[in-house]
Amino acid sequence: MTRGRRPTVVLAALILLAGLTLIAVNMLRSGAPGTNGPEAGFARDMSTHHAQAVRMSFIVRDRTDDRDVRLLAYDIINTQQAQIGMMTAWLDEWGLPKTDPAGPMRWMAGHAGHGGGAGAMPGMATRDQLADLEKASGEDAEVRFLRLMIAHHRGGVDMAEAVLTLSGHDRVQRLARTMVDGQRAEIGQMNAMLRERGAPEA
Amino acid sequence: MSKSARNRNARNTNPRGKNARPKNALTETQVPWGTIAFFTVIGLVAFVAIGYAFMQSRSSADESIAGLVTKDDLSRDHVTGTVKYETDPPMGGEHDGAWQNCNGRVYDAPLRNENAVHSLEHGAVWIAYRPGLPADQLEALQTRVTGTDYTFMSPYPSLDAPIALSAWGKQLKLQDAADPRVDEFLRAFVKGPQTPEPGAPCDGAKDTP
Repeated sequence: MTRGRRPTVVLAALILLAGLTLIAVNMLRSGAPGTNGPEAGFARDMSTHHAQAVRMSFIVRDRTDDRDVRLLAYDIINTQQAQIGMMTAWLDEWGLPKTDPAGPMRWMAGHAGHGGGAGAMPGMATRDQLADLEKASGEDAEVRFLRLMIAHHRGGVDMAEAVLTLSGHDRVQRLARTMVDGQRAEIGQMNAMLRERGAPEA
Repeated sequence: MSKSARNRNARNTNPRGKNARPKNALTETQVPWGTIAFFTVIGLVAFVAIGYAFMQSRSSADESIAGLVTKDDLSRDHVTGTVKYETDPPMGGEHDGAWQNCNGRVYDAPLRNENAVHSLEHGAVWIAYRPGLPADQLEALQTRVTGTDYTFMSPYPSLDAPIALSAWGKQLKLQDAADPRVDEFLRAFVKGPQTPEPGAPCDGAKDTP
């Protein structure tokens, strides 16, 4: 009797161990980010931040015929709208809400959103600035747009760099890295466009 | 009786070796502790694994908010005229081609229902309040809205409750802005799974009441 039982018990213990290891490894690897973590906060706030960049780009396309500015705006619209889709898909996959009623920017140290609304995010244009852009036209609209978008990109780069230091999540790291590199390059391009128009760099 | 069991019984009745003394096969069955332990452990592992998978896949949308009213099969057609909605305020249905801007907007005058409903289609939550809401409650709601993209609020004179939260096909009427269900509703339905048109914008359209 005991002779037959021992291998069974050893086998059972092995299966238990294997099962627990599998679960532990799975939890550590996939580590679905939490609702208060930097990954979810970044995905939510950067979506709002991007949405304004898309809006500004559409406005300037309506306000000028300049090919270079219209093409830059076209690029920003498509890139950032696609990135909003990626970040929305993360939140869907993680099963997390798309919003945090406690306020934006709580994930990024030093930017806790004091109930300041979306304006608490770095680089966001005010409603008045957007209204002025909608009224401007030609080179005036181009210069206003370039200055607003440079500030907007700088804020975006700050947010992306913050999540790079706060999170080791693969896909978050990858997208944040492309935002830092892409938006930095565009800041240089936009400053060159300001110089071409005889306007001071931003 | 299975073939192996028959063989076992046949062996037991065969007097030889230590088991020479006749035994009653019914009372002599051993408790198979090894087998029990084996299957218990497998069962336990399976239970934990399935439970873990269930926790992982659990949706964030909380459909169990007390008092939540749900409506299915709402029309998504665009119309130019006035629509007679079944609920007041509306929670979906035919609507105007232009959505009311809903990027955390606080409107101080009533909105056209036909525009507001289009915003719900884009995943926004509309906070309607009956004029006369105490100032501190109004302020609390305004703070929520300005800090939350894909929300908007407006006064709604014909409202039969102090506050109504609406998303596409979802509605909750509340007596007090401090009710924790305000945040529950926002978490569940701002760009939530009920959204008929995910990814659609909350700006660029109608900007005034």
